Amino acid sequence: MTSEQRATPSGEMHPGLAQPPLDPNAGALTVRLRRFLTPSAIAYGLVLVLFVVGELLSPGFLSTRQVLNVLRVASFLGIVAAGQTLVVLSGGEGIDLSVGAVMSLAAVMTAHITQGRDALVLQALAQILAVGFALGAVNGVGVAFLRIPPLVMTLGMSGVVQGLTLLYTQGIPKGRAAPILNELVTSPWIGGIPGILVIWLGLAVLMSLLLGRTSFGRRLYAIGANRRAAALSGIHVRPMLVVIYGTSGMLAALAGFLFVGYTTTVFLDIGGDYVLRSVAAVVVGGTSLAGGVGSYTGTVAGSIVLTLLQSILTTLRLGEAARQVIHGLVLVLLLAAYGRQRALRQ
Amino acid sequence: MGGNAVPLLEAVGIRKRFGGVVALDGASLQCQAGEVHALLGANGSGKSTLAKVVTGVVAPDAGEVRIRGRVEKISGPADMDRLRIAAVYQELSLIPQLTVAENVLLNREPTRAGFIHREALWQRAAEVLHRLEQYLDRRLPLHEPVGQLSPADQQLVEIAKALSRDPEILILDEATASLRRHEVDALNQVVRELSAAGTGILFISHRLGEVYELCQRATILRNGRVVGTVDLAETPERDLLRLMTGEDLVLERRGRSRPMSRPVRLRVEGLRVAGCLDEISLEARAGEVVGLGGLQGQGQSDLLRALFGDLPHAAGRVEIDGKPVRLGQPADAIRHGMVLVPGNRGQEGLFMIRSVLENITLPSLAHRSWAGWLSLQRERNAARHMLNRLQVKVGSLDDSVATLSGGNQQKVVVGKWLLTEPKILLLDDPTKGVDVQARNELYRVVEDLRDAGLVVILNSSDDSELLALSDRILVLYEGRVVDELRGERLTEQELVGASLRLGSSDRKEGMSHA
Repeated sequence: MTSEQRATPSGEMHPGLAQPPLDPNAGALTVRLRRFLTPSAIAYGLVLVLFVVGELLSPGFLSTRQVLNVLRVASFLGIVAAGQTLVVLSGGEGIDLSVGAVMSLAAVMTAHITQGRDALVLQALAQILAVGFALGAVNGVGVAFLRIPPLVMTLGMSGVVQGLTLLYTQGIPKGRAAPILNELVTSPWIGGIPGILVIWLGLAVLMSLLLGRTSFGRRLYAIGANRRAAALSGIHVRPMLVVIYGTSGMLAALAGFLFVGYTTTVFLDIGGDYVLRSVAAVVVGGTSLAGGVGSYTGTVAGSIVLTLLQSILTTLRLGEAARQVIHGLVLVLLLAAYGRQRALRQ
Repeated sequence: MGGNAVPLLEAVGIRKRFGGVVALDGASLQCQAGEVHALLGANGSGKSTLAKVVTGVVAPDAGEVRIRGRVEKISGPADMDRLRIAAVYQELSLIPQLTVAENVLLNREPTRAGFIHREALWQRAAEVLHRLEQYLDRRLPLHEPVGQLSPADQQLVEIAKALSRDPEILILDEATASLRRHEVDALNQVVRELSAAGTGILFISHRLGEVYELCQRATILRNGRVVGTVDLAETPERDLLRLMTGEDLVLERRGRSRPMSRPVRLRVEGLRVAGCLDEISLEARAGEVVGLGGLQGQGQSDLLRALFGDLPHAAGRVEIDGKPVRLGQPADAIRHGMVLVPGNRGQEGLFMIRSVLENITLPSLAHRSWAGWLSLQRERNAARHMLNRLQVKVGSLDDSVATLSGGNQQKVVVGKWLLTEPKILLLDDPTKGVDVQARNELYRVVEDLRDAGLVVILNSSDDSELLALSDRILVLYEGRVVDELRGERLTEQELVGASLRLGSSDRKEGMSHA
């Protein structure tokens, strides 16, 4: 620490590192503008831009039906990314790469348990939530108590869960979605809005309250910002990490449960896509991969951005190969832009 | 050092604004060849920014830097090498995974056929290190990764790295903060050699004792402006402090020596911690300030950490208000009303990227919440109330705590604990890197708490501060309490004597206030 403890627009100054020249006219206005241009505000701006781009490329993209459809698809990513947000916020290179495998297991279990019967839906929900939490908590124990790096721990867990899924299904997933689950996801609920969106909105409100208005939220930001200082402030860091990773597993399982209602049938790697996309949604939403800074509101926007991107690429009727290449490039561009944005801000 | 000669280094009319904060407002300074020039000022006065303008880390909004009379644009390490400027900062720029030798010659490794010539590297690094080691009683481990070294040794490596560039202008920005006394002496010797050879040295330090020992002239900054350049030989410390702060500050004796009749709050018996503490016993009564003295690093910090539950106890018994307590982790100590202001506030006390509000309310959230649910209004009121009480000026509660000066940051750390209404306050070098004015305010806080019946256990690297604040001082040596000073024995002389009694010459000298 220098004797001058001042945060400056050019960030922490390290000897020998060239700083970008600053605009000498940068004044109060710029400061105010910077405060307004939070990463999550930018992500929402991006949502609007992408919707407009979609409309220009394929008229009808902005119709209510289309918009609701995009949001419905985004909701699964948003639910997985909710847990991912908590894990990334908790710092210590926090990341959960097992969400895809847990989501797949939950989906397979849901179909298997309900066998298309509505009466068994709640039982299935209770079981998959418990299993999801337990698997996530094992991640948490590995990270917090055995000090295994989160990347290694959750990647390993991903493999283990895939094995468990195989064991559970004997290689052939059976069963199908209960009609009520399918209805929840597809048919309109309140004012024409699908039930899944109501659930997602509820989750978003809960997450925002949890992060912004509870002691748990404050402590989560604290352990992400400085784990040592958090422990010295009396926070029980390790049990908290177990709960956080457990919650991530539980939310991944919930996403798997609901996803069965969308697909109606299941396959073994149904959630595999969601691993990296959930991390990307968190980052696009402005949460720092270093932990300690970010919000779920941002992640919601990040999830919509990623879904929109795919949706627009689909409407372009490109080949699958071209679509994947463009998707990857745009993602890299986005993340790079965010990296720059943060460097300028600090 | 002829006053008429072209100055080696000259900064003229430097202005710098960071966002809405004016860090430098037309600051100027001159340093002649062979001069050791001090740059003084309270925290936030702009002295580090000025040093960083000279090294090109910060680009000024206006003004110019002249080297040997020529206006130079300095914008990076390449310019520094060209102009033979080197700098040592308090925050280290070393790479922990690389060895001492590799760090010293980083990016200037001798090569053979395009590959690093390791023997030559070791030899050159050893030569540079020898310039410091000749004044120390030991050698730095050339092949050890820097991350394994103590903070003091890392600082020495950082200094060696600067020396290896054969600078004509050397900037030492709080380079002595983590050094022990004999290491500071060694650095002083090297600085004298350099200045005799014509190098100009810009010396930034909070320790006025070192400044008087080493420097000839001083430029004093206040709020980004130069308030004077003085000849140190003709300027008493009191005048210097007045220039720095704009007011008179005297460190008078604040401790009380009258016998205590209050109940014993904290009793420690036979406390042992593997590797650092042995058979520590002590008693502290309500309303008492107990100082921990001795040479630096004799277990004072470890004792505070052990009491806070941050180090595992191998043996011993701790009682608070007559009841035995188990201290397995900090949360245990906090529950019993015993809290620690750690020695390294940046790494252990604060969440730099979070707001002042969150920092100050974190440990006491449970006091104001219902089943984990926070009332934001009550949070803000509690924070505002505490900041007022500690005289911390903040723009907004939502500003990140990193925007505060060192003194105000330390007050936030103290404040976050006061909100938990503690009974015992453990202070580990609380005024390190804190400017004079904020220091005085912190002393006042300690007095108030003592008067309110708290126990304060204080470790300080500043002996005069320890003597002024403590009702009595326990002197530690190699993890044991070897003496207790009270009454008339609370003098600098007695403290020095007691610290050295086991025949070591490794004494840490505090800065002496007027």
